[in-house]
Amino acid sequence: MVRLERVSKIYPTKYGDVKALDKVSLHIKERELVVIRGPSGSGKTTLLFSIGGMLRPTEGQVIANNSNIYAISKRERAMFRAKNIGFVFQLFHLVPYLNIIENVLLSAGVGKDKYRRQAAKELLKRLNLEDRIYHKPSELSAGEKQRTAIARAMLKHPSIILADEPTGNLDPENSEEIIRHLVECHSSGGTVIIVTHGKAVDSYADRIIHLEKGRIEN
Amino acid sequence: MTSFYLILKEMLQRKLNFLLSLLAIVTATALFVSFFTAGEASKNETIRLMRDIGFNLRIISKKTDMEKFWETGFSDETMPESHVYDLASHGSLSYAHLTAILQKKVIWRGREVILTGIAPEISPQVKQKSPMIFSIEQGYVYIGFEIARNLGLKNSEVIDIFGKPFTIAHALLESGSEDDIRIYAHLHDVQGLLNMEYKVNEIKALQCLCIVNNKNTNSLTLLREQLARVLPDAKVIMIQSIASAREKQRLMAEKYFGFIIPFVVAVCMAWIGILALMNVRERRQEIGIMRALGYGSVKIASLFLGKAVAVGLIGAALGFSIGTGLALKFGPDIFKVTANMITPKIELFYWALVASPAICALSVFIPAMIAATQDPALTLREE
Repeated sequence: MVRLERVSKIYPTKYGDVKALDKVSLHIKERELVVIRGPSGSGKTTLLFSIGGMLRPTEGQVIANNSNIYAISKRERAMFRAKNIGFVFQLFHLVPYLNIIENVLLSAGVGKDKYRRQAAKELLKRLNLEDRIYHKPSELSAGEKQRTAIARAMLKHPSIILADEPTGNLDPENSEEIIRHLVECHSSGGTVIIVTHGKAVDSYADRIIHLEKGRIEN
Repeated sequence: MTSFYLILKEMLQRKLNFLLSLLAIVTATALFVSFFTAGEASKNETIRLMRDIGFNLRIISKKTDMEKFWETGFSDETMPESHVYDLASHGSLSYAHLTAILQKKVIWRGREVILTGIAPEISPQVKQKSPMIFSIEQGYVYIGFEIARNLGLKNSEVIDIFGKPFTIAHALLESGSEDDIRIYAHLHDVQGLLNMEYKVNEIKALQCLCIVNNKNTNSLTLLREQLARVLPDAKVIMIQSIASAREKQRLMAEKYFGFIIPFVVAVCMAWIGILALMNVRERRQEIGIMRALGYGSVKIASLFLGKAVAVGLIGAALGFSIGTGLALKFGPDIFKVTANMITPKIELFYWALVASPAICALSVFIPAMIAATQDPALTLREE
């Protein structure tokens, strides 16, 4: 469950303040698949990062899984993120010097990972990456990189998956596959929030939210 | 996945950054190790060279008429021979290499010679030093160049001095000084010949710089204060040219090392720090994703500090090897007199193992803090 209560985010710039979110209130239920759509600069990514505990709102509260995530310490918030949130980004953000399985295991944190290694292999197999396990990100196609990023987000079975334009850099065929995997995450019990311009996911969404100038339109 | 594994993989990925950081710490470590490996030889060589210049302190009776002293080259006034032992028994004084001397101009075989009695050199108890001056056994003499040449005297020849036979141990080489008209003998022989038992008219000494370290203290004032406490009836003269050359050389060496060490450390730290800053900039998105995955600031900082420590440890091992190698290869050519003192010093390796990683970690501290406090929301939105 995610609840935003009158969340505003203002970016101060030398030309004046920019209001990215303007008193946004939102309630996303558990196991809901929500699409957030809106023009560039409407505050979609700001909203997603605020939900993910990475961007403190200027005002308002963000409550995720019954935790007021900006009322807790930075360290606790990092732990909350590690346990509850999975991120998927448009630019994949894979670590270039780690191979695919190591990139997936990165979400398990620094430490011993012998139990998670098998889980990561199985996940990569499910995402049709079993023959790419020891490849470096530079040796993968864009679709494979995004599937790796999804595997990384899913490894610890987070209750919330946040995807920021996950198909923005992919062709239609790969976009469809990525959407399918995100829908699978939702089907297996996760709350999935996707920021996207594309409409491929609309038919699977429980709700589509339109943002315009930092406000929810409907 | 351990932090060490992540650090290792990152170093192998960004080899140039790693190698340039390593080069900085290896250069600094090698420089220090070579300096300190050859340092002891350098110090001892300086001491040997300064010692070879000669004694720089002359202790004479307080009653000495100085005008006459400078005219004749020695004091007419005598002191008890025991003064030299009194002085030597005080280990905390700035006097070393004490030699009691009795000298007097006499007419021998129709010519004026300086009959000089030299006691075996003694050093204060705490300072065991190799002697600066030759010692002469009783019954033997060293003959100055002019006397030997004019009288045709040779080594091992037995000569008569005021009714007592002496064997010539050495006919000395030309010195270009009044030493060419000296006859050196054991102090007790000369005391006997001159009927001046237990008397000396000078104690030669070398100022010991190991005790005077305060640059603000006038060394001659200190020497005089010390002497007044032990031998109130004596005074000390410092041969300024020798003393100041010796002091200048020591201060110059101290100044040089005092400048070069902080300078090299500062350059090395700046170099590593800039490289670390570049590394942080290059890894902005990687740091961002780690933050998004739940890595805390401490873990992010530890990846950078851990890398610095790893570079420091490798740098310590390589720097020690290279520095020792350089000192062993080139040191003996530079410090010819004390070349055998240049040996590998394992204690420097232990120092390097501590200092190099510490310097690296300190250099990387600010970049590591920048990485740890970086806003992931900003970096993950960058294209």
